[in-house]
Amino acid sequence: MKTVKSLVLAGLLALAPTLVLNGPALAQDNAVVAAPAAENAAAPADSAANAAAPVAEAAPAAPKVAAPPRMKPTEGIGMPMPGEITLQKQFSPTGHTARWLHDVLLLPLITIISIFVLVLMLYVMWRYRRSANPVPSKTSHNTLIEVIWTVLPVVILLVVAVPSIGLLADQYKPAPKDALTVKVTGYQWYWGYEYPDNAIPEFVSNMLPEDKAKENGEPYLLAPDNRLVLPAGRPIKLIITGADVIHAFAVPSLWLKMDAVPGRLNEKSVFIEKPGVYYGQCSELCGARHGFMPIAIEALPPEQFDQWVLSQGGSLKGAAEKTAEAAPAATEKKI
Amino acid sequence: MATLPPSPFDRDRRNRRTLVTMALVGLAMLGLGFASVPLYRIFCEQTGFGGTTRRAEASSSVRVATGHTLSIRFDSNVQPGMPWQFYPEHPTDTVTVGAKDMAIFVAKNMSDKPVTGTASFNVTPTQAGAYFTKIQCFCFTQQTLQPGEEVRMPVLYYVDPKILDDPDNRDTQEITLSYTFYPVEQGKKAS
Amino acid sequence: MTTITADHHGDHAHDHHDADHKPAFFQRWFMSTNHKDIGTLYLIFAIVAGIIGGGISGLMRAELAHPGIQYLHTWAMFMDGPEATLDQAYHLWNVLITAHGLIMVFFMVMPAMIGGFGNWFVPIMIGAPDMAFPRMNNVSFWLLIPAFALLLGSTFVPGGTGNGAGTGWTVYAPLSTSGSAGPAVDMAILSLHIAGASSILGAINFITTILNMRAPGMTLHKMPLFVWSVLVTAFLLLLALPVLAAAITMLLTDRNFGTTFYDAAGGGDPELYQHLFWFFGHPEVYIMILPGFGIISQIVSTFSRKPVFGYLGMAYAMVAIGVVGFVVWAHHMFTTGMSVNVKMYFTAATMVIAVPTGIKIFSWIATIWGGSISFKTPMVWALGFIFLFTVGGVTGVVLANGGVDDVLHDTYYVVAHFHYVLSLGAVFGLFAGFYYWFPKMSGRMYNEFLGHLHFWVFFAGVNMLFFPMHFLGLSGMPRRYPDYPAAFEHWNWVATMGYMVMASGMVIFFINLIWSLAAGRKAEGNPWGEGATTLEWTLSSPPPFHQFETLPVVD
Repeated sequence: MKTVKSLVLAGLLALAPTLVLNGPALAQDNAVVAAPAAENAAAPADSAANAAAPVAEAAPAAPKVAAPPRMKPTEGIGMPMPGEITLQKQFSPTGHTARWLHDVLLLPLITIISIFVLVLMLYVMWRYRRSANPVPSKTSHNTLIEVIWTVLPVVILLVVAVPSIGLLADQYKPAPKDALTVKVTGYQWYWGYEYPDNAIPEFVSNMLPEDKAKENGEPYLLAPDNRLVLPAGRPIKLIITGADVIHAFAVPSLWLKMDAVPGRLNEKSVFIEKPGVYYGQCSELCGARHGFMPIAIEALPPEQFDQWVLSQGGSLKGAAEKTAEAAPAATEKKI
Repeated sequence: MATLPPSPFDRDRRNRRTLVTMALVGLAMLGLGFASVPLYRIFCEQTGFGGTTRRAEASSSVRVATGHTLSIRFDSNVQPGMPWQFYPEHPTDTVTVGAKDMAIFVAKNMSDKPVTGTASFNVTPTQAGAYFTKIQCFCFTQQTLQPGEEVRMPVLYYVDPKILDDPDNRDTQEITLSYTFYPVEQGKKAS
Repeated sequence: MTTITADHHGDHAHDHHDADHKPAFFQRWFMSTNHKDIGTLYLIFAIVAGIIGGGISGLMRAELAHPGIQYLHTWAMFMDGPEATLDQAYHLWNVLITAHGLIMVFFMVMPAMIGGFGNWFVPIMIGAPDMAFPRMNNVSFWLLIPAFALLLGSTFVPGGTGNGAGTGWTVYAPLSTSGSAGPAVDMAILSLHIAGASSILGAINFITTILNMRAPGMTLHKMPLFVWSVLVTAFLLLLALPVLAAAITMLLTDRNFGTTFYDAAGGGDPELYQHLFWFFGHPEVYIMILPGFGIISQIVSTFSRKPVFGYLGMAYAMVAIGVVGFVVWAHHMFTTGMSVNVKMYFTAATMVIAVPTGIKIFSWIATIWGGSISFKTPMVWALGFIFLFTVGGVTGVVLANGGVDDVLHDTYYVVAHFHYVLSLGAVFGLFAGFYYWFPKMSGRMYNEFLGHLHFWVFFAGVNMLFFPMHFLGLSGMPRRYPDYPAAFEHWNWVATMGYMVMASGMVIFFINLIWSLAAGRKAEGNPWGEGATTLEWTLSSPPPFHQFETLPVVD
């Protein structure tokens, strides 16, 4: 465990994360998560990939707006529950539709079909056992019944296909122009988040070590240090890419899963209905620490989200157009 | 395609014929496997599959659909380990459908050595790729930047007005054009 | 279905005194040209590979019994040396899942189904003296040995973070190219090349044998359904495997010769590899299950003492499954960011497969309907197959919905689905076939009580092992994870207990196997009675070394 623990930079826990922001171009290299100064000593970044000197004081120019307090996760929301046998509770409109399709249409359908086949089998096994039916019939054709068991499944599949295709169309509905755009980048083995509309350069999100997660009241292996902070109740467009190999950005409670493919951008529109913490995990085999690059979305009420943006030294959307021009210049200074 | 003939000679000849036919089928599938590389590229270019864009000549004229605008977002990536800064001058732009527009990407070599790079690109949403037409761009051309050198690279493009008639793009309000720069290594050649 | 004129068969062994003349040991087993001996070699090979592959899944279930890293680090120290880091342990996990997948697919199910039962019974069932190309048949088998050796050997050489190929059985680029330095992945790819070549040669041999070598009167529409299933499978192999060969050859050149077929940096596309892989990979799952369909049809008919219901429908349902199997591949790639129309097409096309599959399930039940069933061990396994395959099939309908797959893709729900159709489908088919033909192949009867006991213990075990994986997947547990959040512990623990039950079932199987080979009652030519109508039951048990020197006539 030692390596992982040392790789995941310490700090950033109950305290509000003061992020040190790197230039987007070099973020992959430096991958610095700022730690509160007090914790810096405890964060020996010994991995070559993540090695970078903590530069906590690098952005003194940022306006002093306090970040909203780190949200506590709610048991049973946005995370799996012990002994759970069905889907996680959904918090997005497409999630509700998809869950309806699964729970109301597909699950009863497959259960009925399985039970029907089972009952049929039990019946024939009992009725036509040798002691009950010593002389077998020689029937080997019945056109009517063969037509029925061909046509009936077709009809059932059509009934399934209509809402299923509708769901797909819903899921692919592009986000409106005013959606908040956030860029997600998958790395071996952490996530990077960038807010181009708010001029917040990329920061990275590493898994919390077990003791830190426990201390923080968060589930180990699901909790990262920096969360992806998003507004609840506003359309969001995630643009997702991979830096090295293919990863997949997945959050089950938002019905969200999209591969992060190097050299290619994928987009996914998201709408989070309620504030909360929603956990997810990388869902495409990406190498040794595939199981150790969790995702957490912290959905804030819009006003608090704006406060968070300002606390990160970002600008609010609308003003973004102008400030964005200044962003590259600001980035350069740091490198 | 028949049952066993009595003569072993006939049997062997027929078996050999089937063997050769089947071996040819197998070889054809092997060929198809390799041919899928160019075929896939052509397929992507024709359909915009996977967010592949169109290319056009500068002289080609298109109808400008006045009154219909789209937001274009520019996204930039640099492969980890490449000491370049690479970013769009403006993250978004609003264009009239059919009108030609230009976007500038800026690349800067942050190292003390000359570095050569090449870029790949794609467009999202994928269904919009077929309508995003580039007249001039810097993709797949090698760029060498001296230490500290900064270049401004233009992309000349327009959005084909046919997008307005495509039901799949009814809800498309923003198109994202994404570039990724890679270092050109010795011995790596483009396929 | 087929009635055979009685005067032609009987005991060939006695008619031709040299028909049972066997070559010396080395000649017989290492340079074999006899389809039955090669079939036996394939079965032995599959059993060995199955023990290794099944043992690996035991390691995986042991590690997953509880959250945290239990044994993995210790094993990594064994594999990579005492200084193994935790990252190397995690890499070892990926090596285990990769090896389990590749071994079970390429070195257990395929050799047993096609190489083992196909070789043994296709020539006999069509009344042929042997395969069309007996020497090529031998080459096919012996190619598997170096292929398997390469795969096993790859786990001892560097493959990126640690030793071995940790790419998953799908070998996705760029994890398998730029993401895995070292010779391990090259060795694994080469192993697939050789195994693929072996299968293509085998496929050509089966196609030629079935098309050209049938006995007089044995028309295509009189062939037993097992032969039909092998014919369709052989065509799938012939059409799908070369595409895999091309795909992984390009992986090799990307890795070693600087090409960029799958590297976006040079204008390639990693998605292309996935398209090529699944163009092979989806037919591959039918390659594994179709011979099982054939075996189940024979058994159900035999022990119900009835001809197969809707024979033509059954045969052409398999052809339909084979054809449709080639146009649905991208449902394995629903989350790669494909466009909405493509996803809709693959959703709809995938659902279509449920129709011919449903025809098969209902036709088996209709075969039993009105029959006179004797619950011998093979029949019990076949009935288990029909029900469990149905359960695995219906979850396939759920996964076919692209919109629903967004949350289930790459979770344990998928693991549960494909283990229900393969581990509980193909493997139940294998056991059914093994018990069915064991008397014919060995000349001895298996122990009926142990056979039933094996079934019930195995049935309970695999359901306990795989059913909870549906729950894990629904609640979001991703695949290929060596450690998981504490919330997933409950069902993982149940699954591990299920593995132990299943493993004890396997112990019963091996006891039965050894006991029956050594001391089983001598089997007569046809131990199953009037229901067994195919040609293998007209021969002695075991059949003479050379059968049908006088061709049987089928009318």
